[in-house]
Amino acid sequence: MELPALKNSVQKNNRLERIWLLAKIEFKLRYNENKLGLLWALIKPLSLLLIYFIAFKVILKTSVENYSIYLFSGLIIWQFYLETTDGLTRILSTKKYLYEYSNMSKIEIYLASLISILLGFGFNFSILLTFLFITGIGVDVNILYSPVLVLILFFLCFGIGMILSNLFMHFKDLGQIWPLVSQLIMWLSPLFINAEALKSNIPYIEAFNPMFGMMTNFRNITMYHQPPDFEILLINSIQAIAFFSIGFIMLKIMGKKASEIL
Amino acid sequence: MFSNKKISIQLKNVSKSFKIYNKTYHTIKHRVLNLHKKNEVKLISALKNINLDIYKGECVGVIGRNGSGKSTLTKVMSGAFLPDKGGEVIKDGTSLLLNLGVGFSHELTARENIYVNGSTLGLRIKQIDEIFKDIVGFAELEDFVDTKIKYFSSGMIQRLSFSIAIYAKADILFLDEIFAVGDEKFQKKATEILERNWIENRTAIIVSHSTGLIEQYCNRAILMHKGELLYFGDTGEAIEKYKALE
Repeated sequence: MELPALKNSVQKNNRLERIWLLAKIEFKLRYNENKLGLLWALIKPLSLLLIYFIAFKVILKTSVENYSIYLFSGLIIWQFYLETTDGLTRILSTKKYLYEYSNMSKIEIYLASLISILLGFGFNFSILLTFLFITGIGVDVNILYSPVLVLILFFLCFGIGMILSNLFMHFKDLGQIWPLVSQLIMWLSPLFINAEALKSNIPYIEAFNPMFGMMTNFRNITMYHQPPDFEILLINSIQAIAFFSIGFIMLKIMGKKASEIL
Repeated sequence: MFSNKKISIQLKNVSKSFKIYNKTYHTIKHRVLNLHKKNEVKLISALKNINLDIYKGECVGVIGRNGSGKSTLTKVMSGAFLPDKGGEVIKDGTSLLLNLGVGFSHELTARENIYVNGSTLGLRIKQIDEIFKDIVGFAELEDFVDTKIKYFSSGMIQRLSFSIAIYAKADILFLDEIFAVGDEKFQKKATEILERNWIENRTAIIVSHSTGLIEQYCNRAILMHKGELLYFGDTGEAIEKYKALE
């Protein structure tokens, strides 16, 4: 007696609803847990902003104009990168309860987590816009490129997250190593360092550090009222596609055994 | 006798083996430091070439001694474990594997867990809204709806997990030793559910050391021994064979 393939048919029709439910719960866990609530989402980047401002503007006297805006626009990109890649590293282990006993697709679990971080990013982005208007810099039509940049950033981090979380199954010390790698990437990014200085000292940096291009272009379309650098945009897109494809394949091949290994 | 019934779960040539490494290198550091050393691999076969058909609406018991492969069998059937190459598990409908606290996040409240769990079972948020009160009521957890379940006792978690399974209406239920824990009153309530024909049109696979329970509710039983399916058929005979093993 053969059976028709009814597998997962029931689970698919409420997929979007479920991803949104999980994203909301995770967002709540991230920010609503402590008494400060959503205020914490604001305090964190602002305190980092203050620290870097003191270090680089007050002490080192950087020549970058509108340095606080420069810093903040870099910081929110950096926060998204850090929270996604770092947060996704252990996801197959922390969210095991979701996929272990049901046939829920793991991609949904990643998506929910990324979306919850994206909500935080949206919050920070609106604060950046507020800053821009308060300081009189404002925005122009180039701000309309922001969905494209966010999409590239999203898939880039999605890919890196999938690669890391699958490697984590076999290399548990990745949890310690990755923050160090991130430190290196941070210092090779124009987060608080002048982008031009970085570029002139390290040629082709945009090719091996995706964050360089992401921050440069993000500043172009927000505070500099310029279109993105399309060459860098293309490089970033290729990087995003490459990381995402590698991560996706790794998840398909290695992820199957996750509930046994972890 | 079941030839005209629909198959709910079908296992074809299902084996499951686990590689047990002599030394586990789960970090980069270990691997680098031990590059020159060979790692001995021990293959443990937890399930050996199992073929079986379980029909829709059946209540099947799984018995066997500790380490005979009962839990591995349910995990493979539910999809938590993949069978070895060549094996096939075919299922018709949604399934839910129940054992203590499974599928729950201890960081979430009972309410959140009900929604997440219901949603993974394929229910829409609206449908969960409708049955929410019943789930909480059956589990007797009305006062703890917004408490994180990490503060729950194991019995409370079990009650919650049991109620979701009943109201979420999974087509196939794997009940792995869930009648063993929990207070007497709830155990009675839970077993009464089995009597009330609640499994109608659903399939239940009960793993238990309590042969009495299986004898009472299951028509057929699977006897596992050292990873092999020793017998699958009439419950009385399965229990007799099981007792002969000891």
